[in-house]
Amino acid sequence: MQEVPAVIQWMQNSDFGTGIRESVWTFPVVETTHVLALAISVGVLIWFDLRLLGWGMKHQPISQIHKQIMPYAMFGFIIMFITGVLLFWSEAEKCYLSGFFRAKVLFLFLAGFNAIIFEFKTKKTIEEWDKYPIPPAKARIAGWLSILSWAAVIIAGRATAYNLF
Amino acid sequence: MHYLLPFFKWSDSMWMGETIRGSRLYFPIIETFHLLALTLLFGAILMLNLRLCGLFMKNLPIQQVTRDLAPWTIWSLVVILASGYMLFTSEAMKCYASVPFQVKMLFLFTAIAFHFTVYRKVTRSDREPKRVWGVTLAVISVLLWLGVGLGGRGIGFL
Repeated sequence: MQEVPAVIQWMQNSDFGTGIRESVWTFPVVETTHVLALAISVGVLIWFDLRLLGWGMKHQPISQIHKQIMPYAMFGFIIMFITGVLLFWSEAEKCYLSGFFRAKVLFLFLAGFNAIIFEFKTKKTIEEWDKYPIPPAKARIAGWLSILSWAAVIIAGRATAYNLF
Repeated sequence: MHYLLPFFKWSDSMWMGETIRGSRLYFPIIETFHLLALTLLFGAILMLNLRLCGLFMKNLPIQQVTRDLAPWTIWSLVVILASGYMLFTSEAMKCYASVPFQVKMLFLFTAIAFHFTVYRKVTRSDREPKRVWGVTLAVISVLLWLGVGLGGRGIGFL
């Protein structure tokens, strides 16, 4: 058995974590909320990514879609993040030791990093390609990276729960 | 539901169910596709509903938004139904006894029927619906699809 850091052990054994883990309803409710928030957040974000690829909603300027989708994506993300922390807290040791969970965190960072680059760098020139049906390569790459990393987050997240390895 | 029992038994004994039951990996892999397609569908329906409420892409006609989303919506629904049936064959008898499963199917068939009739008529129309009517349809749609999701999650938990 691999060594588990003290903070993870403390989370796992805290009243709070144990309470969620051993509850009849809290865990399923938190878990369901997590999945629903994911469907909202990634569900709308993916449509923005598809627009970046030029695969959907070509009639709309990219900035318009961005402006309208982001509040919902962020709303979903915040709920997803909070419920995610609660789920981690309740199964801290299992998550810490799970290869899938580690992969999930890695892909989450990748998705976040990609989003930050898009927001602070790629988007600067958006006025030039806002109305293009198919935006330039740097924007398409951002779209691909977002789709792939979020899909990987979902896949790894689901696999964490299955306890496959 | 006893008149449907032969269908459940037949699905349960199919080669597909046998194969999926026989592996540790098939079920999780198929379920992952189920989930990914579901995310896409849920996102599309959410955006269409927001449009019906006048909270999203107000400057585009509803018809246009619907057309833009339609191909992806249909294909994600096809993937969801196909992968869903595959998962079902692997545990059809468990589903037969599961109340959440029955709830889910009830919501699913109602949601699909609603989506391709009343809902479709408004989202494919070239006229903007009255605000109240648009919001009503959006709320019904969200509740129906939410019922599908909650029922589905319940199968695993209860």
